[in-house]
Amino acid sequence: MLLCVIRNRVEEVGKVAKVLLKDIIKIYDGDVKAVDRANIEIQDKEFMVLVGPSGCGKTTVLRMIAGLEEISSGDLFIDSKRVNDEAPKDRDIAMVFQNYALYPHMSVYGNMQFGLRIRNFPKEEIHARVKEAAQILDIEELLDRKPKALSGGQRQRVAVGRAIVRKPKVFLFDEPLSNLDAKLRVQMRAEISSLHSRLQATMIYVTHDQTEAMTMGDRIVVMRSGIIQQIGTPLKLYNTPINRFVAGFIGSPPMNISPAGVSEQDGKIVVKEEGMTVVIPESREEVLRPYLGGKVLMGVRSEDLKFTNEPKESNLNAKVIVVEPLGNETHLYLETKDSQLIARTDSEHGFRVGERVDFTPEVKKIQFFDIETERSLLYSE
Amino acid sequence: MKQSKKRVIFLEALGVLFFILFMLPLLLVLINSAKDAFDVTQYPLRLPEDWGQLGRNVANIWANPNVQYSRSFFSSVLITVLSLLFIMFLSSQAAWVLVRTKSRLSIFIFTLFVATMVIPFQIVMFPLLSWFRTVTDFTGIRLLRTYGGMILAYLGFGSSLSIFMYHGFIKSIPYELEEAASIDGCGRIRTFYTIIHPILKPIHATVLVLNSIWIWNDYLLPLLILGKSGRVMTIPLAVSNFAGAYVKQWDLILTAILMSMVPVIIFFLLAQRSIIKGMVQGSIK
Repeated sequence: MLLCVIRNRVEEVGKVAKVLLKDIIKIYDGDVKAVDRANIEIQDKEFMVLVGPSGCGKTTVLRMIAGLEEISSGDLFIDSKRVNDEAPKDRDIAMVFQNYALYPHMSVYGNMQFGLRIRNFPKEEIHARVKEAAQILDIEELLDRKPKALSGGQRQRVAVGRAIVRKPKVFLFDEPLSNLDAKLRVQMRAEISSLHSRLQATMIYVTHDQTEAMTMGDRIVVMRSGIIQQIGTPLKLYNTPINRFVAGFIGSPPMNISPAGVSEQDGKIVVKEEGMTVVIPESREEVLRPYLGGKVLMGVRSEDLKFTNEPKESNLNAKVIVVEPLGNETHLYLETKDSQLIARTDSEHGFRVGERVDFTPEVKKIQFFDIETERSLLYSE
Repeated sequence: MKQSKKRVIFLEALGVLFFILFMLPLLLVLINSAKDAFDVTQYPLRLPEDWGQLGRNVANIWANPNVQYSRSFFSSVLITVLSLLFIMFLSSQAAWVLVRTKSRLSIFIFTLFVATMVIPFQIVMFPLLSWFRTVTDFTGIRLLRTYGGMILAYLGFGSSLSIFMYHGFIKSIPYELEEAASIDGCGRIRTFYTIIHPILKPIHATVLVLNSIWIWNDYLLPLLILGKSGRVMTIPLAVSNFAGAYVKQWDLILTAILMSMVPVIIFFLLAQRSIIKGMVQGSIK
């Protein structure tokens, strides 16, 4: 028994949980390609978030890492060991499911100790681990209860507890907060982040909520239609999106993107959109020069549209169609001749629906995308 | 308001009427079990004068060498319990595999099971006998006049409805539970017995009660497979021995019926809550 405890301790200390996906492809019956050549390197102790809209393949990637979904081609390594053909139980992972998947006929204690009991851990070790996890998650009072007697938030904690007692190499989270109400979601978000800092474990987290991705992840993988669009830190994705999709997906409200004409005026390159004229700084002239006489997609974040009281011909003049006061700021839905935009302003202005207002963009923060490929013109690795 | 009150009174009266209608046979069996043969035929609706007659009838039945009630009781219990266990374990496992294996073959097999529910027993009873004889001829395994043959027949006839019921229930169990179990370290069999099987408790109760009632009371199938003068005899067959060609001992027949009803009623009362739960869950989830 003692040997077993020592063995477990040694195993825990020696665990390096790097996850590597190499050219992973998942094809379902009928040639449906759910994931196409996914290459992701998740570092030891990293909190990696997979984000994207429904059907983008993020959950499929997670399930392939868990071993719940067969990999059609490519290699998956956990801790430098190829695990494509390993059963889920042999991959040393733990997963928190979207609907928690708690065993309804077992108590909270029963649920948490189940994985350890199956692995023939000594009773004292099981008890100690369950107690420790219950303490961390503040669910000590609930250990005798059945899952049906728990609230959504409590069930979520138990599901996390069931994962952490195992002390696995990798934690997998499949949209674990999507069934919680908005307030609880914010609270649990912070708790999972603090749990990551405390456990210092590798965590892979799937969500469709870009706010969760931005606030929790060390790095984020943005996916669309089974293809990885961009991998990077939250700020990198926010400030230098690789393409129009990432620019629109990351950030709330989404980036305002619309076509704009590129021309030369007084020796300087200018971009014109909806009556608004933007003089491009010299540092960015080179990327836009090939598009002279043509069109690009211009992207401006809502907070980079600045309200101005000085009407100028070069300003963006738009009609306010919706005012959303949020207390600390106000979101304005604006309508120009051909498009709609969102601007984030101070609450003090007191805008009214129907009024016409002038905005100028923060020129240095404007993003430009190729109108055909939709790739960013400013992106660099 | 007045109209709805009248409606409630009418429905309640109708309910009481149905209750009396359904309870009447049981009441007749009960009051006539405590009478002698003369009183049963002459005054069938009169309450018994001496309830002690019930005890004497029971003793007569138990001691009757032609009927061998104790042996028949043991055979009935053995056949019913083993049939139920086989039906419960094999049907639930079959339904689980049919639900979780998403292929055309699994849909076809399930449809076959459902289709067999609408085939009347009378159509298959003689082919069944002939098939049992053929199996014996080819393999040497005796199926007629044996416990094995009887239990096999009940498994065959009981499994289609059971699989249908389990199938509906298992569909409502989230697949993630099994995935969580596989990550926790369970294999397929362990997943079934530690996770799925306990969740099926309410539907187990429903399946067990529904099958136990007909297996315990069945007369025709044991008559065909076991025969009236065979070594193995169930209670309904034994009770039929009180009805000869010329004399029918109604006092003993009714007492024996009452005795055979008791275990099923007790089982039904014990499992009642789970049955209702099982039926509701199976239908709405």
